[in-house]
Amino acid sequence: MHELGLARSIAGIAQENAKGRPLKEVRVAIGPLACVERGALEFCWGLVTESTGIAGVGLRFLDADGDTFVVRELEFMEEA
Amino acid sequence: MCGTCGCADPANEVSMTNPETGVKTLLKNGVDHGHGHKHDHDHDDHHHEGDDVPHMHGPGGEIISLEAAVLGKNDKIAAQNRGWFQGRGVIALNIVSSPGAGKTTLLESTIRQMKDEVEITVVEGDQMTANDAERIQQAGARALQINTGAGCHLEADMIAAAARSLDPQPGSIMMIENVGNLVCPAMFDLGEKMKIAVISTTEGEDKPIKYPHMFRAVEWVVINKMDLAPHVDFDEETCRKNILQVNPGAKILCLSARTGEGMDEWCAALGALQA
Ligand SMILES: Nc1nc2c(ncn2[C@@H]2O[C@H](COP(=O)(O)OP(=O)(O)OP(=O)(O)O)[C@@H](O)[C@H]2O)c(=O)[nH]1
Ligand SMILES: [Mg+2]
Repeated sequence: MHELGLARSIAGIAQENAKGRPLKEVRVAIGPLACVERGALEFCWGLVTESTGIAGVGLRFLDADGDTFVVRELEFMEEA
Repeated sequence: MCGTCGCADPANEVSMTNPETGVKTLLKNGVDHGHGHKHDHDHDDHHHEGDDVPHMHGPGGEIISLEAAVLGKNDKIAAQNRGWFQGRGVIALNIVSSPGAGKTTLLESTIRQMKDEVEITVVEGDQMTANDAERIQQAGARALQINTGAGCHLEADMIAAAARSLDPQPGSIMMIENVGNLVCPAMFDLGEKMKIAVISTTEGEDKPIKYPHMFRAVEWVVINKMDLAPHVDFDEETCRKNILQVNPGAKILCLSARTGEGMDEWCAALGALQA
């Protein structure tokens, strides 16, 4: 349900916290009771980030408990 | 996936209408949906010094740990609403159901029955029309209509605006009729004291096990349209068993908002919330 809105929210959190540094991957922890469909969220992530500053950044799901639904970690690109 | 939800549609408008005056206020012009858009000014989760963020170095680049709730912005406004309601001694109830289970009819009957006892105000959430708020007003209560446009649920910021505008009296009950939908409203805390699900005998006994997230999120379940039970072969025992299977602590009330059967027990339960 409304994974598009959720993807946009995740993108907002990632961009805010990355503060312009190039991101490699965003890791989101999702519990079985969070009511989030991973496939749909992944699909929406591509749409939402396309042609933004975080286009191409990966989205990875981590298993969590209960209704957990948090942006757990951000991984940055290796500094050149 | 919710095919009808337009919550991320930048063109989606959310409005609030007072059925008494006809005045319509735009709550969202479609640019900001409230899901943590980066141009919002009222959130405090900016980290101004980078040094306080736990970080480590993996085989790739640096990894920082965030634990940022995806619905954090809604949850924060909901917590503010909860404080606002508690501070005023207002009991806010978030009523959820599939479309047509009888939420508005139940509210109309409740208002008629409890009018002299307690003030009831109502926030109506529907995608379109102010019909439900007009029905509530005719039943004798103050109401506001929120139209979510393509959005399929109410969010905490809409309730913040509606509550301030309705200005409910201390000791009153504020009923929030959510958009008819058993999926998305389960995720969005509005700051209510509790969620109450309404199901009707015509929907079949298995709604609670088909939509377990919602039935787990509520404290009470009202089984409405009991007057129709014999006509649709509704099996009350099976329905109760299904509700308790997903939510063993749920309080179950059987009634007919049309005939008034069971309404006394429901009104007494509402009255007891204020004690
Ligand atoms: N027989 C019978 N009909 C009822 C009862 N309660 C509601 N209805 C009818 O069911 C229909 C839908 O009722 P509403 O109160 O509009 O339902 P709702 O849940 O508010 O619907 P939405 O706001 O559209 O989701 C109306 O035709 C009501 O008259 C009841 O207890 N018995
Ligand atoms: Mg209604």
